[in-house]
Amino acid sequence: MMTPRRLAMKALRYTLIGTLVVLAGFPVYWMAATALNVNSQLYGTGQVAWPQLQHLPDLVTELGNVPIGRWLFNTLLIASGGTILSLTLGALAGYALSRFKFHGRGLVGFLLFMTQVVPEALILVPLYAMFITFGLLNSLWGLILANVGFSLPVACFVLKGAMDAVPYEIEESAIIDNCPRFSVLTMIILPLIMPSIAAAAVVSFFAGWNEFLFASTFLMDRALWPASVGLASFVGQYETPMSAVLGAALVFSLPAIVFFLLIQRKIVAGLTAGAVKG
Amino acid sequence: MSVSGLKNRSGMARLLPYAFILPPMIYLMVFMFWPLSRQMYMSLTNTRIVNPNRGRFIGLGNYERLIEDPAFYLSLKATLTYTVLTVVIGVALGVVAALAIDRPFKGRAVVRAILLFGWAVPGVAASLIWLWMYNERSGVFNRITELLGIGRFSWLTSTDYALGSVLAVTVWQVAPFVMLVVLAALQSVPQEVREAARIDGADGISTFRAVTLPHIRPSIQLAALLVAVWSIRRFDIIYLLTGGGPLGSTSTLVVKLRQTAFEGHELGMASAYGAVGLALALMVAAIHYTVEQRRMKRMSR
Repeated sequence: MMTPRRLAMKALRYTLIGTLVVLAGFPVYWMAATALNVNSQLYGTGQVAWPQLQHLPDLVTELGNVPIGRWLFNTLLIASGGTILSLTLGALAGYALSRFKFHGRGLVGFLLFMTQVVPEALILVPLYAMFITFGLLNSLWGLILANVGFSLPVACFVLKGAMDAVPYEIEESAIIDNCPRFSVLTMIILPLIMPSIAAAAVVSFFAGWNEFLFASTFLMDRALWPASVGLASFVGQYETPMSAVLGAALVFSLPAIVFFLLIQRKIVAGLTAGAVKG
Repeated sequence: MSVSGLKNRSGMARLLPYAFILPPMIYLMVFMFWPLSRQMYMSLTNTRIVNPNRGRFIGLGNYERLIEDPAFYLSLKATLTYTVLTVVIGVALGVVAALAIDRPFKGRAVVRAILLFGWAVPGVAASLIWLWMYNERSGVFNRITELLGIGRFSWLTSTDYALGSVLAVTVWQVAPFVMLVVLAALQSVPQEVREAARIDGADGISTFRAVTLPHIRPSIQLAALLVAVWSIRRFDIIYLLTGGGPLGSTSTLVVKLRQTAFEGHELGMASAYGAVGLALALMVAAIHYTVEQRRMKRMSR
């Protein structure tokens, strides 16, 4: 039997959970519901609060008038390029920090921590000047190079954490057999930490996927715009129906939502490790 | 064990670690730390956007202009208010949410997933949906307030509400992250200790204060640090929701930097804003570091 006091506590707890679910979930629900309204409803008779699936074909037609495919393709290039680069460099740094004692090790840790504190905007102006000099302005390459500075350290923290858990004995015999250390890393260590590599990849990928500040500053050419910049161009522009704007935003958000939910714990571990061990 | 692996410390072996650490470090030097020092230097020049690689050295000229400019104090105030309120509200809500869903219940996995939505949605997409919800004529908030008979509000264009409206979106994004960090810590609270406290007659609140809170405090502090740093860094949602307005009430240093540089075309001046932003971010990191050190000392005693 439950005492009235415990019953009241239980009711309070479920009310609290219910409130939190509404607060957290409503904007995403509203994004989907709005995308399935038609313009006359949104600006005239009033928005219908439930998803009207019968308007799905209208939404698809509207999205056809928005270069969302082109934008997502650019986003994909930026995010994948950044992922490959930050995983490669992050694995090297992670292996060095996990397996060696060397002069400057503390400095390296400090610099990696700094990248997580420094606002991206601080290097916006100097990178802009540098990219003009090297012809990297208005180029996806330049954007990738700028992004990786911030995602590489996170990849490094995640991979170093995983490598620390791999016993040294596993690579010892290979080292005694004079196997090159680089091969030890790629042939022995990396295959053992695949889940963490996947996690680091997802973190880097969506850092590039979501990035807006650098992309909106360095890319002037509309054909190069990633989805973040393209979607932002709808702000204050009224030709595109709101249902199409939020439909496109939803398409852009879904991959991020799915992957963030899948590997939430790993992402948190990666983001917090840098601050703890810095 | 990790470091003990190296036995041969002579010749080539001594250089080996640098073969691994140098490529990533050179990368960071070129694309992070060299630009960062360049930006510090630029703040002492009158660089303009027409010729960003040629600026004349003008000493502390930009900083002199900065301390005479009311817009700078407005920006500093907006940054500090925004950061402090985000940390306080975001961390409080995140901790409450973590405590609410810590113990198992039916549908917990689904609830947990929904609570993470704000964190998982990209900033630009979040801005678009909230812009629509804040829309003065057709947005859901004003439809509700009208139904309640309290009229419409200028959520993003009135100096009374703009910062609060931006804050709401920010909290929606960061509270779930705090929740995840605290949840992870809660799962490591020894269940026996909690049970023992309960058997000894401690009620829920004193068990929480004596057992749970000390256990999760380091995680709360860490989450607060990260939320503070991100608040100083944040650009996308502030820029897209209000553009720093109205009347500069949401123009944080980062937004101001970008506008001074690419709308005002004054790169030197923008860099001075950046230097202040860097000082602020370093201060937060230093506070975290000191508190962390002190706790380490206390624990070892």
